[in-house]
Amino acid sequence: MLNSFKTPQRIALIGGASEIGNAVLRSLPQDGIEEVIRFDRQTSGFDAAIENARREVVSSMFTKDLDVAIIAIGALGNQESTTEEANLLRVIEVNYLATAHLLYLIASKMVTQGHGKILVISSFAQERPRIDNFAYGSTKAAIDFYARGLSHKLKNSGVEIKILRPGFVLTRMTQGMKPAPFSISAEQAGKIGAKLLQGRSTIAYAPTILRYVAIIFRNLPEIIFRRLG
Amino acid sequence: MDEVLSSSTGWGRSIHARSFDRSENIVEMQKTIRSIGGERGALAVGLRRSYGDSALNSGGLHLSSHQLQSVSMNPTSGVIRVGAGLSIASLETIALRAGYFPAVVPGTGFVTVGGAIAADIHGKSHHKTGAFSSMVMSMKVMYSDSSVRELQPTGPTSKHFWATVGGMGLTGIIVEAELQLSPVEGNHFNVHEKRSCDLNELLFDLKTADLEHDHTVAWIDLSGSYCGRGIVGMGDFAESFSKKFRNSPKQINFPLKPKGSLITPITVGAFNSMWFKKPLNSGTSSVRAFCHPLDGVNNWNRVYGEDGFLQYQFSIPDGEEEFLFTVLAKLRELKAASFLGVLKRFGASSPGYLSFPSPGWTLAVDLPVSIPNLERTLNEFDAELVNRKGRVYLVKDSRLRAEYLPAMYPHLNEWKEIRDEMDPQKLWNSDQARRLGLC
Repeated sequence: MLNSFKTPQRIALIGGASEIGNAVLRSLPQDGIEEVIRFDRQTSGFDAAIENARREVVSSMFTKDLDVAIIAIGALGNQESTTEEANLLRVIEVNYLATAHLLYLIASKMVTQGHGKILVISSFAQERPRIDNFAYGSTKAAIDFYARGLSHKLKNSGVEIKILRPGFVLTRMTQGMKPAPFSISAEQAGKIGAKLLQGRSTIAYAPTILRYVAIIFRNLPEIIFRRLG
Repeated sequence: MDEVLSSSTGWGRSIHARSFDRSENIVEMQKTIRSIGGERGALAVGLRRSYGDSALNSGGLHLSSHQLQSVSMNPTSGVIRVGAGLSIASLETIALRAGYFPAVVPGTGFVTVGGAIAADIHGKSHHKTGAFSSMVMSMKVMYSDSSVRELQPTGPTSKHFWATVGGMGLTGIIVEAELQLSPVEGNHFNVHEKRSCDLNELLFDLKTADLEHDHTVAWIDLSGSYCGRGIVGMGDFAESFSKKFRNSPKQINFPLKPKGSLITPITVGAFNSMWFKKPLNSGTSSVRAFCHPLDGVNNWNRVYGEDGFLQYQFSIPDGEEEFLFTVLAKLRELKAASFLGVLKRFGASSPGYLSFPSPGWTLAVDLPVSIPNLERTLNEFDAELVNRKGRVYLVKDSRLRAEYLPAMYPHLNEWKEIRDEMDPQKLWNSDQARRLGLC
């Protein structure tokens, strides 16, 4: 249960090795947290790509009330697989299919308990297709869309969906890539994610200035945008 | 259940829940309990004066005791049988008309009899009378199998009785109670007050006042230098009837709905300095002005803004007074000013397994939740309380960590066993129970 300081008691981190996910956890007020459950491939053998594994993991989270779930699984695609086709299937499977399914399953359980918060990690890449990451961006656009819709649907249920849209975050996933403008550390992204979880808004960019950059980014005429790319 | 979820909050307005709310009579309640499904259970609720989440059941059912208002009284013995939804304020009015008064009344009249039993509340008279349960001769409780059973403080039903006293509504729904009222001749209080310049003096004055008066309490100034200065209030029921106090005074509404808290070190400091220097009360006082001073203003809890506040109330045994000095020093460090700091001595404890009062001191402090580092400091207080055999009061609590509970309430395991026996289906539940692992 959340206490009167809005401090969560039990938290689940799906994608337990995620640097952003762990940074969010570290930035939450630590005084009331009693239990953090982590699910990842390395330590708990959780493979988000398996449908039944997702169901099992979610039901195992709700032995007691769960206050916060952070869904921090994600694939960038280009490093893990060799062909473009394999990349495409991989990012759709992890970033959209598995994430949306987990979001649905967790939200349904939280509706029954009448409270809970879920943090979904979207991306700045979902704003507009760019030549170097549009497959990844399309999956983030899809999960962002679904999460916004679900958030609206659940507005009177006591369950809140929070959407974090990080820009370029310096993590293992982006290692070796050339940092984009406004790049930040996982720690900084985590701070913004934690603030989002505790506050009233649904969506936050990391860094926050990207919110305004996004407006320009979205509205640039295609002809100029393509030249920039 | 096809009802719409409604949102409710504890009196501190810092903790919220969405649940299904119903107000029913006994027969309807029985039907509801028989048909109830799902895992979130049900909880009886009254006038929602518990500060935190003891009367909240997220995703589950709230069964309001509002319709349980029956009253029947034996005017010669002073025994009154009342529905659990009756407020203490109404009970006082009814009792006074017949020449009686409840020996134990809390700081607000807006709690129900059911709530008073479920929290085993105390009042300014605790050093003489004990807690509310000392007045309860018997009660009717609705079990999770929908049967209504009569429980008594002694005899074969006594275990269930004392598990329900202070049991936070987690053993069943209290539907009716038989209370022994005390005969009185007057209709008001004779009161007087004394100023004490620091904590040592305040403790001494309160101890002395307890020897001579039936009702005592101290207001403590939690601002400025935090030296523990305060005002000891003493009162005894008057032996004469005064026309002046025939009608109960009017209530005004708190006129603002501030976004942020109006309680800051500056406003509190100014108020407290003024209050400390106010002319001391000496003479007569109405029941409400003396017993329930804050009831004159409706919705005063809004003064803390949208984030709300909490009340931290703890008790410590005699000999552990040093802890009170620690609390003052720490609150000063935090710049946590409070206009409501209440100090009181407790007499003997009741046999309730989870009953709060135990011999020694109790301090209650209202604090806005927005004070930085407050959560950590209160956790440190709790750890210290465990060392000193103190405890926090569950009906005020909204943030205690579950790990401290067993040490604070040594009869917790016995209570849990009786609870499981009374409610094998595990129907009764609350957010506080989930937070603290009570059920």
